[in-house]
Amino acid sequence: MKGVKRISTAARLTLISVVICGLIFPLVMTGIGQVALPWQSNGSQVYFENRSIGSELISQNFSAPVFFHPRNNSASGVDPDITLSYATSQIPRIHNATGISESFLNATLQKYRQYTLFFFGTPYVNVLNVNLFLVASYPTIYSPYVQ
Amino acid sequence: MLSLEDLFVVALVWGIVIILAWFLSRYLLTVFTGAKSRLDRFFLPIENFIYFLAGVDSTEKMGWKEYFKALFYLNIAQAVLAFFILMFQQNLPLNPMHYPGMSWSLAFNTVLSFSSNTNLQHYNGETTLSYLSQMSAIQFLQFTSAATGLAAGVAVLRGFAGKAKTIGNFYFDYVRSLTRVLLPLTFVATIVLIALGVPQSLGGYSSIPTLQRDAYEILYKGPIASLVSIMQLGTNGGGYFGANSAYPLQNPTQISDFFEIGLMMFIPTSILFLFGRMVGDNREGRTLFLAAYVIYGIDLLLAFLPATQIGRGMEVRFGSTASVFWTVTTTAFTTGSVNASLSAFNPVVILTGFFGMLIQAAPGGKGVGAMYLLMYIIVTIFLVGLMAGRTPEYLGIKIEGRDVKLAVAAFLTHPIIILVPTVVAFVIGAEKTIGLTTNSIGFTKVFYEYTTAAANNGSDFLGASANTVFFNVTTGVVMWLGRFLPMLFMLAIADSVAIRKRTPSQGLKTGNLSFVIILVVSIFILTVLTFFPFLVLGPILQFLQGFKTGFGGVVLGL
Repeated sequence: MKGVKRISTAARLTLISVVICGLIFPLVMTGIGQVALPWQSNGSQVYFENRSIGSELISQNFSAPVFFHPRNNSASGVDPDITLSYATSQIPRIHNATGISESFLNATLQKYRQYTLFFFGTPYVNVLNVNLFLVASYPTIYSPYVQ
Repeated sequence: MLSLEDLFVVALVWGIVIILAWFLSRYLLTVFTGAKSRLDRFFLPIENFIYFLAGVDSTEKMGWKEYFKALFYLNIAQAVLAFFILMFQQNLPLNPMHYPGMSWSLAFNTVLSFSSNTNLQHYNGETTLSYLSQMSAIQFLQFTSAATGLAAGVAVLRGFAGKAKTIGNFYFDYVRSLTRVLLPLTFVATIVLIALGVPQSLGGYSSIPTLQRDAYEILYKGPIASLVSIMQLGTNGGGYFGANSAYPLQNPTQISDFFEIGLMMFIPTSILFLFGRMVGDNREGRTLFLAAYVIYGIDLLLAFLPATQIGRGMEVRFGSTASVFWTVTTTAFTTGSVNASLSAFNPVVILTGFFGMLIQAAPGGKGVGAMYLLMYIIVTIFLVGLMAGRTPEYLGIKIEGRDVKLAVAAFLTHPIIILVPTVVAFVIGAEKTIGLTTNSIGFTKVFYEYTTAAANNGSDFLGASANTVFFNVTTGVVMWLGRFLPMLFMLAIADSVAIRKRTPSQGLKTGNLSFVIILVVSIFILTVLTFFPFLVLGPILQFLQGFKTGFGGVVLGL
């Protein structure tokens, strides 16, 4: 008899737990997120000419020589950032493909430079933000390459 | 070598978490002793309604058998429910991607993994699970397994502290863990994570045309922030994504990275202080805290020894410092979430990961980490008693033969369930079926798999590649044995010491620094001696082979 009681208690407490922790909680959090922080809740999407071009946090496929390229062998496979030194090594290629001056490209990288430990650590840049800045600065050069 | 920057970051995170954990321990004392609190007006009606619906009496004192049965039956029921959700998700709502159900062996492994607080994952969540499965199977078990661990840990501490003369009532501990600890903390953590860029949405996974012509990306929008917050706070570790916290949507920035490290440390650290408060002597809690943090600190120092470069398998935004800090912390607290691919690390870092998981108490998972520390204390006091020729005593309680036998049984559970299946896997050639070679690297990966399973950690090298019937079933069984057997043994000890006569201590003082040193040394000797041959065949051999090929210079940071 005690065994039956224990099973029925376990089953009831399981149902209560799943309703609270597995349904109400995530749904309430989704509601709060969508109302209070909609941009982040929907994936921090970046807009170009009034349409979403994907998340700022996710690496994009940049293969044309006119863009800075990501480095897709890291842990997540969608690492949106590259180290400053890797970005700098791409400057001659972009200069040759677009004619944009190397000093402008360098200045762009400096403008978007971040550090892995806030003020120190390894400097790096977000590839999408840097490329977006180039597209905005030289729309005629880049128009054949963007969609 | 540990640079000044590394030291600064670690000290900052430690400082903040330890101070907050100290205050949390004060709150936890009222929660678990049932002392009157101003929050009762809000929480008591909810809790009483839950007790009413479940038909339980939360005031009845339970013996260890009763406490364990209540805990175990509940975990079985929860695992069964989650098993059916995972297997039949295609027939259930909230599956906009129309993902099919899991195979029986994968669902079996997944529910044993999440209900045991391990969160070993032989699948990639974003391409396998529906929204309902992520919420009502994964997040659900992350909450309940955290509450179970917290309840069992607190019950053991309560028994040793002796004030209550009982280990308590499981339903009281479980329900209060949820309503007063996990849900409120997770609520705050979820909002912070959303603000830092972790999505919380049910909008489906869409393919978006990106900036360059003819390029697309899939944006995995889901209920991610609520899952990540409980997975870290509950030291669960199982991610929304296969890549876990390396995936930017689960861990977007350095701030979110350090915040998530803090979340994993928060509750286990406060439990160590809670013990002192329960005993009524903060020095006893300080002993647990210092022993755990000395070992954790040694692991960190060792892990920072080799110069780790940002390379393959590491996310640029975290750099090497945050990646190493995370990897040591996630194993020390048996969380198991990862923010870089383990293959990216030097064997020395992996070795410190092994230490964290083999010890399980430095500081270990919430609740159970402190429980394991008490296990080590009993064994240590027994050994010291033998050497000094005195009756072993702890907190004025005479430690009897039965206590030592049970503590040793809890200790030996771990080597048996790690080493036996590791050997079996190689004997039957299971490593070849998942593309591993029989060398030090292959050995490290399989040994790590069973260690992470037994320690209820969940970080791993193999991931979805280990989705075979052999690995699914064996690691599944190991996870449950590693979870529930030590709990059973420790509850049995705690229940008998709860009512045992206490006399002012004649023997070894346990509230001082010299005992901390004895404890740390004895923990290292006990675990390292037990596992040494296996560590030699795995990460140590890998390290030495690296030396031979000229890798040694990099290893030592020369």
